[in-house]
Amino acid sequence: MMTGMERFGALMSGGTPDRVPIVCNLLDQGARELGLSILEYYSRGEHVAEGQLRMREKYGYDTLTGMFYSALEAEVMGCRNIIYADDGPPNVGHLVINAPRDIKRLHVPDDLNEHPRFRELTTCIGLLKKEARGRFPVLGVVTASFSLPAMLMGVGPWMELFLNGDPALRDELLETCSLFCSRQIAALREAGADLIVYVDPLASATFIQLRKFRELALPWIIRDLEAHGPAGVIFFNGGGRINPILADIREHAGIGAYYLNPYDDITEARALLGSNSLIAGTINDIRLIDWSPDEIEREVEKIMLAGKRAGGFIFGTLLMPCGIPEENIRALVAAAIRHGHHAESVVCR
Amino acid sequence: MSEGIDKQILDSYLTALFDTDKAGALRVVQEALDGGLTPEQVVFEVIIPGMERMIGGMISDNLVTLSQHFLASQIAEEVTDRLIPLFATVPEVQGHVVIGTSHGDFHGLGKKIVIGCLKARMFQVTDLGINVAPEKFVDQALEVGAEVIGISSMMVHTATGERGPKRVRQLLREQGLEDRLRIIVGGAPYRFHENLFREVGADAWGDTAAEVPGIVARLVREVRS
Repeated sequence: MMTGMERFGALMSGGTPDRVPIVCNLLDQGARELGLSILEYYSRGEHVAEGQLRMREKYGYDTLTGMFYSALEAEVMGCRNIIYADDGPPNVGHLVINAPRDIKRLHVPDDLNEHPRFRELTTCIGLLKKEARGRFPVLGVVTASFSLPAMLMGVGPWMELFLNGDPALRDELLETCSLFCSRQIAALREAGADLIVYVDPLASATFIQLRKFRELALPWIIRDLEAHGPAGVIFFNGGGRINPILADIREHAGIGAYYLNPYDDITEARALLGSNSLIAGTINDIRLIDWSPDEIEREVEKIMLAGKRAGGFIFGTLLMPCGIPEENIRALVAAAIRHGHHAESVVCR
Repeated sequence: MSEGIDKQILDSYLTALFDTDKAGALRVVQEALDGGLTPEQVVFEVIIPGMERMIGGMISDNLVTLSQHFLASQIAEEVTDRLIPLFATVPEVQGHVVIGTSHGDFHGLGKKIVIGCLKARMFQVTDLGINVAPEKFVDQALEVGAEVIGISSMMVHTATGERGPKRVRQLLREQGLEDRLRIIVGGAPYRFHENLFREVGADAWGDTAAEVPGIVARLVREVRS
């Protein structure tokens, strides 16, 4: 039996692993696992690493997620108030940008580890890397420069700025966010992240039309990845549909792996990308809250069938809500293992 | 103004919406007014049809983006607010909605888009803002005499949590207000789970902002009947 790392390695070198690798994005659930509040849990990198390790061990999927919560990036950029919930991810409670002058005041630290919470994040990734002992890839997660402003100024004001606002101000903000993104990729890689999940919901076809994507978002994807290259980067949909933009990203940014939205068609994605890219097909994980094990089984089987036909396939979830019962997470992973086996596999040991 | 010219105006307006070109859309509106269209014609024959074209993806090959919805709604709200005082007769208010994001939810975009759509369809709207306590939804609805409470949630836990729409439903039940007030919900979690609105105690949900006025009109009729 292969390890998670070997499964990813096989896929990335064009081979076929023993079964489809499984990415299960459990984040806040780690707090429950350790009997901590979400506030306590995210206060220490050690807690989050322990939570991630326990959950991977418990459910048996193939990766370790080195992520706290999206709003952490806003914190590093100056957000002074994070709102914690008992049963969901922490939220931005203070917008860093409220006026054009705030854009000019934004500052990206040379060393992101100067920020105490970011330091906890890299500590967590380091621990995951060490404990994984090469068996499971550690995922680092960054928000794209084109989407980060939504956390700094709110989605509406950001849309207003990039669609109809001052182009010079927009580009100044994007320059800063791109620098932050690039430095973050470097810091997460240095801490031990094997793969970088690059999250760009505002660039998705759910938010903007293709022409605007090409004009406004694509140049910044290229820019974000310029310093470190696209190797080991996974483009993550962030909740929006991405099939309409896949071919452009593949051609111009050179990213080799794409994490689809549940509503993106896997077969269509493969046709758009050609044979050399990896595709992660996702289950609609909000439905896992109340689907029966049989319903989960049928849905997983359907996704796996399409994925195995497409080839170069990873099975994934979005960010699993806390309300999903444990038995459904177990049912999900068990079904993914059952239906993910390849008839013929290449042993990579 | 002839039917042909109206169509030309509407087409120009739709093109600007499609391109998310706010200045272009406002220019079409101003030219229509300068060309002799009445404020009522601009609202009812340009702005509202523009918004309704968003329903079902009639623009852009069946894929209407959030930015297009956002712009259509923003212009609808701005133009309607500016032109209603110029109407020959005061338009009949279609109903009153109090709206906000659920407790713990700081994402206001969906709510903002819905407000623009409702105002353009002559609904009175009281915006309670973001991170609204369930008690406030009910208290404010009673204070302003609303028929409908709108609750927007971007995250699963704020949609399904005990301080979200479920609690608003419980308050309506406890206070004997279920005949007087209806609840409509919207936001990302509901788009991934078509029955979630029932599970959180809502009477209806809106998949897109542009279809909300039609649903709210039905809820208002139910309350008034």
